[in-house]
Amino acid sequence: MNEKNERLILDVAYQPQVRTELDTKRIMLTVIVALLPALVVSVIRYGAYPLAVAAVSTASAVFFEWAYRALMKKSRTVDDLSAAVTGLLLAMVMPAGIPLWVPVIGDLFAIVVVKQLYGGIGKNFLNPALAGRAFLLASYAMLMGVWTTPKTLAGAVDTVTMATPLSYLYGGKALPEYFSRLNLFLGNRPGCIGELSTLAILIGAAILLVFKIIDWRIPVSTVGTVAVLTLIFGKDGYGNFDWMVYNLLTGGLLFGAVFMATDYATSPVTRKGRVLYGFGIGALTVLIRYFGGYPEGISYAILIMNLCSWAIDKAFHRRQFGVTAEDIKAEKAAREGKK
Amino acid sequence: MAHTFKGGVHPNYMKAPEVPVSVIAPPPQVVIPLAQHIGAPCIPIVEVGAYVTMGQKIGDNPAPVSAPVHASVSGRVVAIEPRPYPMGGTSMSVVIENDGLDTKCDALEPLTEEQLKDPDAILERIRECGIVGMGGAMFPTAFKIRGGIGKVDRLIINGAECEPYLNGDHLTMKLFPEELLKGIELVRIASGVDKAYYGIEVNKQDAISVLKAHYPEKYGVEIVSEKVKYPQGGEKMQVKAVTGREVKPGGLPSGVGCNVVSTRTCYAVYQACYEGRPVIDRIVTVAGSAMKQTVNALTRVGTPFAYLAEQCGGFAKTPRKIVLGGPMMGICATDINAPTVKGTSGVLFFTEKEDRNVKEPTCIHCGKCISVCPMRLEPMFMYMYYKKGDLDMLKKFHVTDCFECGSCAYNCPGRLPLTHAFKTAKVMLQEQVVREKEAAAK
Amino acid sequence: MNIRKQFKEGLITNNPVLVQLIGMCATMAITTSLFNGVGMGLSVTVILTCCNVVISAIRKIIPDEIRLAIFVVVIAGFVTIVDLLLQAFIPALSEALGVFIPLIVVNCIIIGRAEAFCQKNTVGASFIDGIAQGLGYTMVLIVMCVIREFFGSGRFGGGLIELSGGFRFTLDGTGTGIQIFDPDYGAGILNRPFGGFLTLGVLIAVMQYFTAKAKKKAELKAAEAKEAEDE
Repeated sequence: MNEKNERLILDVAYQPQVRTELDTKRIMLTVIVALLPALVVSVIRYGAYPLAVAAVSTASAVFFEWAYRALMKKSRTVDDLSAAVTGLLLAMVMPAGIPLWVPVIGDLFAIVVVKQLYGGIGKNFLNPALAGRAFLLASYAMLMGVWTTPKTLAGAVDTVTMATPLSYLYGGKALPEYFSRLNLFLGNRPGCIGELSTLAILIGAAILLVFKIIDWRIPVSTVGTVAVLTLIFGKDGYGNFDWMVYNLLTGGLLFGAVFMATDYATSPVTRKGRVLYGFGIGALTVLIRYFGGYPEGISYAILIMNLCSWAIDKAFHRRQFGVTAEDIKAEKAAREGKK
Repeated sequence: MAHTFKGGVHPNYMKAPEVPVSVIAPPPQVVIPLAQHIGAPCIPIVEVGAYVTMGQKIGDNPAPVSAPVHASVSGRVVAIEPRPYPMGGTSMSVVIENDGLDTKCDALEPLTEEQLKDPDAILERIRECGIVGMGGAMFPTAFKIRGGIGKVDRLIINGAECEPYLNGDHLTMKLFPEELLKGIELVRIASGVDKAYYGIEVNKQDAISVLKAHYPEKYGVEIVSEKVKYPQGGEKMQVKAVTGREVKPGGLPSGVGCNVVSTRTCYAVYQACYEGRPVIDRIVTVAGSAMKQTVNALTRVGTPFAYLAEQCGGFAKTPRKIVLGGPMMGICATDINAPTVKGTSGVLFFTEKEDRNVKEPTCIHCGKCISVCPMRLEPMFMYMYYKKGDLDMLKKFHVTDCFECGSCAYNCPGRLPLTHAFKTAKVMLQEQVVREKEAAAK
Repeated sequence: MNIRKQFKEGLITNNPVLVQLIGMCATMAITTSLFNGVGMGLSVTVILTCCNVVISAIRKIIPDEIRLAIFVVVIAGFVTIVDLLLQAFIPALSEALGVFIPLIVVNCIIIGRAEAFCQKNTVGASFIDGIAQGLGYTMVLIVMCVIREFFGSGRFGGGLIELSGGFRFTLDGTGTGIQIFDPDYGAGILNRPFGGFLTLGVLIAVMQYFTAKAKKKAELKAAEAKEAEDE
């Protein structure tokens, strides 16, 4: 026994000696699970095609990540599933009838240019999936603006494609009967694959919140800002409250607030900073919806706030432990007195 | 509402307070390091070949920040030489060949009724019995209490035991409630305050009810229920949870009128004053994935880890690490033949299962480290500046405030060695100060 | 002067766009078709060479305090000449480049070379420098044009090459180029200024990657040579 002990090689590792089970891979896996309800709703509304879009997009994102890292002789990172999440998120913000090659190009841009050229996971300054969508929207505006009519939408004009509820709201036309609030809540409407059902997104949000993947401050302050602003600045023809409800139920607001704005690498890290970030997204969304050329503004709002998140991080430092607000005031006064 | 602080983590506690205390037979040979505290190491006062009794003082130093060491078994001193030290390296130690008789030393009588009410007598006895902070800090208790007299208006007893695995404090509370309360009373009298607050995490509900059944108010003790959260047992966190005060940056709890004393220390004070028994044993939790079972072992000071593991059922797997204290703040022993000391609350034998380290730690900028830091630091940015070697920015981000609780690194999904980085950064900053002083001297 | 070294500097190691990062404005704006790129690049090369020669010839009599004004006067003269020539002989190019031809007056490449090179060097060296730097600029423009045109609208050589009725170069800018794939599949964003930034950024990154690699290799070689010497 003693002889054996003497030969024992001991690790002198740094503390702590235990660690949580929640690692990057598990976080990404949880996000994928949280996205599934929205995908299921899409399948109910459109059939199996959205599944094909999601599969192609996810596979190509993973492939591009693997190929880039292998080509540049860097370590393999596809195992952490972050590329899969990017690919799936990009698929979720595609219109349901998108040709399959479009998300592949978006993935190429998202993974290689936005993510890997800046050093990979955690170092990108734009949300890769949203940047990919913006790239596609600017490049293939025609394809990205085609909204397939859901199979389950009764009472709609019998056409293959139709206008989204948001374009009715902001196009100055009255919202058709078939876009009832229940239909909007359950996602019985045209739109992007992931944004359809408020209910499905809320389920996803609950999963993310329960497993402490995201901070509630970002989605709550984003949606809250939009709610307050649309309640105050209503539109003729709708009651202020109705207007607010329609604004919350339509478009990609909730999806963006829950899944896109909370992207780790591109959102601020302090609590106050996160509230401000969410407020910025909400305010910009309303601005773009009211005055912009696009009916939906959440993706650009998030991208713009992504660019601000480092500045927000710099602006909101936490108060040092043991230093009260009075201490800071006194120190400031002393400094000014010296001058 | 349970008292607590902001931040913190909820590690997998792995506690086993239901495992009864098993008394470990003293080893055939004990190794007693002469430095079992922060401050001046002891000078041996026995010679090789001398016969010592259990509890006999074998080393002392007249310096104020010091604590004597005692023989934990009776027998013959066979060597006084450098031996492996649990915290790495070697330390001058007294090696005693155990004669198995445990002949008690009668140098110290229990204190008399009057002495039990005299702060000076109590403090003298605390020092004489070599009592140090037994939560792991190993700071001489007498010096700490003496330094707080007059400044301290709140005495806080630390019963959080927030570190995973450890059960020693919990078992002490359950098994010796009256003795413990008497010990707290003595510390309270020595500190010159009217009331002591006993902060206990609510996961020790059974212990709380046992203590409450012994009328703590009779001893001037109020029990404060605290939320279960790591690092609730950190000194600054205890002060914050119980009093709402925040210790100033770089300051001590006594700076805001508080002193924090650990549970096991109070029990040791009881033993010292009522029984005249110095610190020669304590409950050590022996656990970890390399062990066959978890054991709460009443262990003599100076028991080598290898012997302890063998007595506790032996290894299930080959251990990769020996952790002293809790897994969050505990450090690794470098030698399996090093002995336990007064501050050893646990000896954990880990395989690679626990730490979940990865080859290539990557920050994913999630901010989880920031939300859990009990000191309101921003570990993510601090780590970035550490990687850049930017000491000025590290100072600006108050890296010196970090008390290395490990919450950030525990919670990091990218597995960054955050705590380790800040420890290194603090050493680098100290070196910088020394260099600057040298430059100024020139 | 070492002509080879000057050309190497102008084309690669001290390329005006990829290394010095000057003359970016026109680079972003006009690199949407090969015709524009070649036209702009050659115009700048001509103007740069002429200005370099003139400025280095009068470098000893220019008072230091007003040298910038004099540079601009010289440059503006040549720009006007080229502008008028283009309007007369290749109106299509003049129309496509629009304001960017007059803007060559304030193009950093020309003022920059005047300031950094011609002031200190002989007429001959300045002449070579003008051609080398101009060609370096043209080269980058052509590369960017090819990339943006291909990925943006699936075409090669727009304005410069005509396929119908046999392969020929069209110097009047009427050629439709070689259509490689349906422009509907092209990423239209590359035809906009953003595409210019993106392409240029990627080009600079690639360039840095290879120069860094070459530098490392050279250092390694030097170290090895030193080691061999020591032995």
